[in-house]
Amino acid sequence: MDAIVLGAWVATGLTLLIFSFLYKDNPLFKLAEHLYVGVSVGYVIVKTYDTVIVHLVVKPIVENGEIALLIPVAIGMLMLTRYVPKAAWMSRYAFAFIVGMGAGLAIPRTVSSFILKQVEDTIRPLLSMAGSDGVTFSMNLLNPASHLNAIIILIGVSSVLFYFFFSIEHSGVGKAVARTGILFLMISFGAGFGYTVMARMSLLIGRLTDLIEFSDASYGRPTVWLSLLTVGALFLLARRGREQPPDIH
Amino acid sequence: MIFLRRQLPLLITLVTGLLFAAQYYVPHPASEQMLTSATKWLQIVGGFALILGVTSLFHQHAVKIRRQEAGWGYSLVLYVGMLGTIAVGLWTNGKESVEGTMTAFGWIYNYMMVPLQGTMFAILAFFIASAAYRSFRAKSREAAVLLVAAVIVMMGRVPLGEYLIPLSGDVSSWILNVLNSSVRRAILIGVSLGAVALSFKIIFGVERSYLGGGKE
Amino acid sequence: MTLSERMLKIDRRIIFLMIGLCTLLPLLYPVGLPIKISSEVRGVYDHIESMPEGSVFLLSIDFDPASKPELYPQAIALLRHAFKKNLRVITMTLWVSGTGMADQLVTQVAKETGKENGTDYTFLGWSPGGQAVIINMGQDLYSAYPSDYRGKSTKELPILEGVRSLKDVGYMVSLGAGRPGVEEWYVFGKDKYKFEMGGGCTGVMAPGLYPLLRSGQINGLIGGLRGAAEYENLIGQKGKAVAGMDAQSATHLAIIALVIMCNLFYFSLRQQRDG
Repeated sequence: MDAIVLGAWVATGLTLLIFSFLYKDNPLFKLAEHLYVGVSVGYVIVKTYDTVIVHLVVKPIVENGEIALLIPVAIGMLMLTRYVPKAAWMSRYAFAFIVGMGAGLAIPRTVSSFILKQVEDTIRPLLSMAGSDGVTFSMNLLNPASHLNAIIILIGVSSVLFYFFFSIEHSGVGKAVARTGILFLMISFGAGFGYTVMARMSLLIGRLTDLIEFSDASYGRPTVWLSLLTVGALFLLARRGREQPPDIH
Repeated sequence: MIFLRRQLPLLITLVTGLLFAAQYYVPHPASEQMLTSATKWLQIVGGFALILGVTSLFHQHAVKIRRQEAGWGYSLVLYVGMLGTIAVGLWTNGKESVEGTMTAFGWIYNYMMVPLQGTMFAILAFFIASAAYRSFRAKSREAAVLLVAAVIVMMGRVPLGEYLIPLSGDVSSWILNVLNSSVRRAILIGVSLGAVALSFKIIFGVERSYLGGGKE
Repeated sequence: MTLSERMLKIDRRIIFLMIGLCTLLPLLYPVGLPIKISSEVRGVYDHIESMPEGSVFLLSIDFDPASKPELYPQAIALLRHAFKKNLRVITMTLWVSGTGMADQLVTQVAKETGKENGTDYTFLGWSPGGQAVIINMGQDLYSAYPSDYRGKSTKELPILEGVRSLKDVGYMVSLGAGRPGVEEWYVFGKDKYKFEMGGGCTGVMAPGLYPLLRSGQINGLIGGLRGAAEYENLIGQKGKAVAGMDAQSATHLAIIALVIMCNLFYFSLRQQRDG
């Protein structure tokens, strides 16, 4: 049996073990779940060792004499003092460096990218002076850059910001603005739900596509045989569960 | 000792924070060189942080196995999976493929990790359907608006929906590009303002939770 | 118990079965309905189409196996397009769990299009630190990635000749499933290093990226499996995304039917109680 065929059987088996959760929580699912965590952690450790220790630290130091790289290694080691209760306070230096630098790097870039640029695009000209007709106002809803849509976006942004940020009592005009904000929010959440459904269904389509592929005779039809085996195992587990009522103590 | 344990870390945060915020506005070669070196350091320290994050599981499951607590067998599976992956990974120099040929580490990744992780998230499809059936009810006007928007977008983003109701594609595109954009923009501006405020609080030592608990 | 009450308390496994069948049957018996191209996806396609031969294209594959069904087809389609246009393709990932997948897909498309590693394309692999990697690449690409995935020195790779930092990149696309992803590439990359940028993302993330699209901070957006299917249509090479669209249609209609049924039963129950 070559590695790919064996892989198809293993992948199919593990997929079905996870899917068995749809029937109910059971030992087969728990087994696969713990294996998933173990393999993932092992994978991350290996990749981090190979990338950081070998390629970013040891090689540059040995081949190019970049001794300064020992400083981040020392900071990293300080971080690991979290495992030694008496020395755990030393990890604060590492976290202070990471968090301080992260905050410093983020401030100007966030202001520039997400505040100024977004505000700039919201406050756009509501009329255009371009073209031979002089002043124009485009009403095309299907063109997101039309003047009508620019006004709708301005109303949406302002009313949602008002709803979220102004702590004055929402009455009179304020109530109308806040209600407009809620309306916009609901539409956006609805769109978000629609897209979330799309995403989740896509993931299922991906897994089922693999199962269909592995039902091919060239792999020995693991999907068919292992589905039967999983159903059989679930049946046996359910029967054993009925025979041995849970301990009430 | 209090200086070393409490004030020095806060001082490091203050200095690095202000330094790198100011660096953005100083494009001098020396300042740029400092940014290059410091971000390289941050890359390396980031690797250690990742290890710190994932290895916290070690202790928890080791205790379970040692005391043979309920479900210790699963913890053993976790350990076997982890140690097996590490052994194979180190043996293949952490490479999933060499010159296009899959290694044993690549095999574990492709035929164990990918289906396990993929399926773990794929089962959410079933639960979102069940949740939609159980709780997506037009109990108020707002809920009705949300529901209608969701249905339009769900119709408009698939070929069958566009085929059955040709207008749904254009309407969902308008909802996403205009109505949704404006809301997400307001949220983005708000969240960014909050993030900037939090960054300042961290730099000036008002927010200190990142230092962790423990003795002074 | 009335019919409405019984229906509202239906065993969830019946719903699971319905969704499973709605996904499985169209995959086994596809119909192939036409897919309309959106302006968001066309934005990315048109930009790559307009790039002259030999331009530098950076693709950051920022997802893991959890989002593979949505973003893997996007990556395949983008790489096929970039290789067809004879661009110099640099690939990398900011997600450690995505490294194996990224390596596999880049190798697969390069092999199918006859491209050579190191000359026509490179896979730099993964590096930790997220935003730090992006900034470091903007400052000095060779510092962020001293070697490629194979361990070869990046300074000696012919494909990286003249590419010292992100400033030398013609077009960049991040296929992101979360953080770090499209937003981080903009904030820590494009904001300072001024390269042109497009995005690809999962369906869950797509609505949140529209503000960046509208403000022109990204010039196109490929959202979820639907976006991938549109791109596959644009390059004329149908793949897994187009194949999955019928199942996507069926499941969406199934969910809509469930929502309508749930509301019908809910209102009928309410009417009975009020009456």
